[in-house]
Amino acid sequence: MPATVHKFLSLRLKQTYTSKILFVVVENCQLLVLLWVGHLEGKLKNNELWQAVLGEIELSVSRASYVTWFKNTSLLKQSDELLVVGVSNVFIKQQFEHKFNDLVVGILKKNGVESKKIEYKICAITKSAEDNNETGASETYPASQESYTQSSGSITHDYRKGLNERYTFDNFVVGSGNEMAYAACRAVVENLGVKYNPLYLYGGVGIGKTHLIQAVGNAVIGTNSNARVVYISSDQFVKEFVAALRYKKSGDFADFYRAADVLIIDDVQFFAGKEKIQEEFFHTYNALHQANHQIIISSDKPPRDIPTLEERLRSRFIGGMTIDMQNPDFETRCAIVQTKAQTHGIDLPSDVTEFLATNIQTNIRELEGALNQLLAFCEMRELSPDLEIATGLLGSIKRPKHLTAKQVIERTARHYQVALDDILGPKRDKDIVVPRQVAMYILRSELHLSFPKIAKELGRKDHTTAIHSVDKIQKASALDSDIREAITNIRDRLYV
Amino acid sequence: MKLQVTQENLNSALMSVAKVASSRSTLPILSNILLKTKGTRLSVAATNLDIAITHYIGSKVSEEGSITIPARLMQEFVSSLPSGVIDIELDDTKLHITTPQYTSTINGAPADDFPVMPAITSGKSLELPGPIFKKALQQVIFAASGDDSRPVLTGVYIYTQNNSLYAVATDSYRLAEEVMGTHKEEITLLIPATALAELLRLIGDDDSKIKVTYDDQQASFSVDDTELVTRLIDGKYPDYQKLIPKDFAIVATVNRNEMINITKVSSLFARSSSGSIKLEINEEDQLLSIHSIASQLGENTSSSAAKIKGSGSITINSRYLLDALHALGGDDVEFCCNGKLEPALIKDPSNKNYTHIIMPLKS
Repeated sequence: MPATVHKFLSLRLKQTYTSKILFVVVENCQLLVLLWVGHLEGKLKNNELWQAVLGEIELSVSRASYVTWFKNTSLLKQSDELLVVGVSNVFIKQQFEHKFNDLVVGILKKNGVESKKIEYKICAITKSAEDNNETGASETYPASQESYTQSSGSITHDYRKGLNERYTFDNFVVGSGNEMAYAACRAVVENLGVKYNPLYLYGGVGIGKTHLIQAVGNAVIGTNSNARVVYISSDQFVKEFVAALRYKKSGDFADFYRAADVLIIDDVQFFAGKEKIQEEFFHTYNALHQANHQIIISSDKPPRDIPTLEERLRSRFIGGMTIDMQNPDFETRCAIVQTKAQTHGIDLPSDVTEFLATNIQTNIRELEGALNQLLAFCEMRELSPDLEIATGLLGSIKRPKHLTAKQVIERTARHYQVALDDILGPKRDKDIVVPRQVAMYILRSELHLSFPKIAKELGRKDHTTAIHSVDKIQKASALDSDIREAITNIRDRLYV
Repeated sequence: MKLQVTQENLNSALMSVAKVASSRSTLPILSNILLKTKGTRLSVAATNLDIAITHYIGSKVSEEGSITIPARLMQEFVSSLPSGVIDIELDDTKLHITTPQYTSTINGAPADDFPVMPAITSGKSLELPGPIFKKALQQVIFAASGDDSRPVLTGVYIYTQNNSLYAVATDSYRLAEEVMGTHKEEITLLIPATALAELLRLIGDDDSKIKVTYDDQQASFSVDDTELVTRLIDGKYPDYQKLIPKDFAIVATVNRNEMINITKVSSLFARSSSGSIKLEINEEDQLLSIHSIASQLGENTSSSAAKIKGSGSITINSRYLLDALHALGGDDVEFCCNGKLEPALIKDPSNKNYTHIIMPLKS
């Protein structure tokens, strides 16, 4: 068909009216296209017609009844003699035939459709058949579809696609904040699927969660090159799931993930509030766990703190090994800086290392960025890095330290949602004492105030109270993750 | 509506029906049961839109009518009444229930709002002997999957092949198959296991017949005075027969109770490894031993004397093994396998009709 005709037709066909081409006449080299716009012209297309009908029904019946009976229906076929409505099960079919027929006929009539007969048919997927043709299955068939089909064939290569080979156990710096997590990950590699399944790591931004879990994946592949390891971030999982739904490949999607030996999901907190995904993940989780396949999950919060996470997922996450990763301490930060510098082939003087580690306390990514900035600066000017250059260059990233004791106490009170006056007052209820002690601890650890000063700031008479409190919180923070989290949280916000 | 029924009849009707009425549904009326007079009988019905159960009881009807009332309240109320005659009278939407000792009024909702109970107008039918069907269901139903992502596996597959009637269920980790006897007509039915679990409660131990009527979308089962209608699952059941190994290199015959005991004991140590236990079969010592490890707690080896041909080991899920052992009747069991990678088969040497296979776990 000549291109112009084609274009013209496709233009016409894109409109919402159904058109039928009767014949194409070529006359005097001029294209004459006669469109026989069928008797359907002026009527709405199936899909839109049914949407209009449903819209009206929704107004006339109760919400519960609409959801139960009408929501998953569609119009399968429409002609003068016969209308076929697709319903999802026999109960709904019966209900339509006996109860809603008059309602449907009435509303159809209002929309200008008078069929002699309406039939109700059960179909598993209530998507109108015509819909499929019109959306054009060919338009943007996802590239990811390839990965689904490959899963049955040469599996190994594809399964490791999410992993970055740069992240290994060897270049992970172990310190007091992450040694538990590191040991657990090591154990997981050695006893895949048996020990610590699922492994749930959580901690703040940029403290090495992704590094560790990817290292597990790389190590598993290192020991067994046929292992099927999937590393995926949760939002990528969501995207693939949506694509799979859209192109009706959800079976392949499920099979792909359920066939993994190791499934690593990063930043699982983004599942919060996505019910359908949680359900799909729940099934994947069960299938893998059932078959003793390893599951590794990372998040920025412990499972119980992720809002709108379904109870059954939450309990499963908690059921495995849950480890929190703490901010690296000073020595670890120094070690990290040195390791990173060495990968660039540069030996950093120790005062520069210490300067970086002192000034950037929480986020390793930030630390790496500062180091890169310093190294790049020195490389361009052919200098060797020393403290002076570092101070000159990175002075700006130093955090403001003009904190007052009052700010600390206020922040603590806000975190625990207790009144400031209560903390400063005489009350000795447990829910007030703990925040008070935490505030003292932070005053000591962050502001390095003297004990008598701390006691005074909190309205206590005796400085031994402060000594006791700081000591108590220090001990408790080693054992009690609630306190540890509270301290991290309050400390983080102090510097914002 | 005005009628008289006995407490025993009404209570048994409510017992078989009320469980289906669910309070969790989005549609509030589904937590009600439908009472309706039909000639001299009273029908008591409930549905959750997946299955519907109707129970008919004899009654003395003096005025026809119908009403729906909250299922739980009605069941709990009637079950606590003393046995004897109950007077039931409907006044608009208020149902008055009177016995010599108790008078109560339950607020109902009009029967018109209740979903239409499905009826199979045209379809094929067959009759199954109750006890055989019940036994077959009990032996296979637990193997069906509870995971909705593969709907086909949530059903029990009932079909004929070479004039034999089979019932099969699998969740892809284990599979149970029972031959229910001979049947001439060709049948293929894929029935939701949840519906059959309800049906199991309805089938008594007496020699009753179950009448099955079905078309391509739904099936109804009539047991005595109760009728259960369920949708059928649409889809092709996997060709499972090729999964069942034909020959076995390793066969161990063990006393069933003994096997249950050692499996139970070793499963205590398998909790942290999601039930994974290792069976070792040793021909030389004629010993079957089960080994399990709880990484934190300790480990266990339980053994039992057995008649053994061939040696080897296999790791399987203890829960699946226990389920299978409980489903098997008989004094002895035969545990057959071909090493670590192929499925294991468990059967009763005296009963050729029941086959159970379990997929091995990777060890």
